[in-house]
Amino acid sequence: MQQDHAFVEIIRENEALIYKITRVYADTREDEQDLYQEIVYQLWKSFPSFRNESKVSTWIYRVALNTAIAYLNKEKRKGMVLPIHEILFNRPEERDVVKEEQIGLLYSHIKALSIVEKGIILLWLDGKNYEEIADITGFSSSNVGTRLGRIKQKLSHQINQ
Amino acid sequence: MTMELDEMKKLWTDMSAEREKQKLLTDQMVQNMTKSNYQSKLKKIRIPEIMGTTISIAAALYILMDMQQFNTWYLTGCGIISAIILVLLPFLSIRSVYRLQSVNISGVSYKETLLAYAKRKKEFVSVQKLAFILGALLVVVILPVMGKLIGGKDLFAESWLWIWYSIGFLFFSFYARYVFRHYMNSVSEAEVILKELE
Repeated sequence: MQQDHAFVEIIRENEALIYKITRVYADTREDEQDLYQEIVYQLWKSFPSFRNESKVSTWIYRVALNTAIAYLNKEKRKGMVLPIHEILFNRPEERDVVKEEQIGLLYSHIKALSIVEKGIILLWLDGKNYEEIADITGFSSSNVGTRLGRIKQKLSHQINQ
Repeated sequence: MTMELDEMKKLWTDMSAEREKQKLLTDQMVQNMTKSNYQSKLKKIRIPEIMGTTISIAAALYILMDMQQFNTWYLTGCGIISAIILVLLPFLSIRSVYRLQSVNISGVSYKETLLAYAKRKKEFVSVQKLAFILGALLVVVILPVMGKLIGGKDLFAESWLWIWYSIGFLFFSFYARYVFRHYMNSVSEAEVILKELE
């Protein structure tokens, strides 16, 4: 019971993180909902083996990013989707029309990157340093630096087109 | 509308901060997502595979138990090949789906997961190709087998069987070209990922 409560708290504290990952990796609103549930479910399944050896956010990033890859590879089948409250996927941050357009553009630039690049840039945008990105992604810190340089160049080129 | 990289990062940070403030999830919503009745989309093997396997095995047993009805070498040959394919096809299908979906999600890094999926995707496509060819072969060999078992006739003795085979082959060759192009796209996607990870 205490474990349930701790898990719920962790998810609630990191709901924005999961939301951003679903929005980067899923193409439709329905897929976003589906992926969100899948990530929470996979986190729940791996929660007993999480022993605080790494930071909670590192664990969440790992499971969430890996679930997103698995989700992209899944055979498209209809399963039961719980009716998550639609409010979770409403975008109140986008009430401002100009901001809405900018955020939409931002996501479209990230979505246009390759699957390898998406994960790295997402972590960089979330303020992670090279070591943290390396820890989550499994690339070496120097490799993260090289890749980030290339991704930034690519993004600059994309946004200036 | 264009945006500079710095603007992009600032926008992301602002959006994240705003989103974090919102706290839209309720305890109940999280609990619902963790309940066992939630059917994970990544679950390994499901009803279609189980049903397909049952039907295939039943058909293979039906053929094998009535083998004595085949009074020519070619019908016996078709019967044996049909039974082998009927057992092999669901086995290949389940194995490849299981392999593709059995990557450990929690204990590995992003790079390891990408590598595993790209490799398994290539493997999956090879198995799918093999299954497609076996499926086509099954259609050819099972027709005379069922003709004999159900209708009591040797279809090879009927000249129209060859006409149907010829028409079928024509359609199959177009369909095969379409299917294999789709497989090639899947493989090249996987190869791009593997190359990027090098």
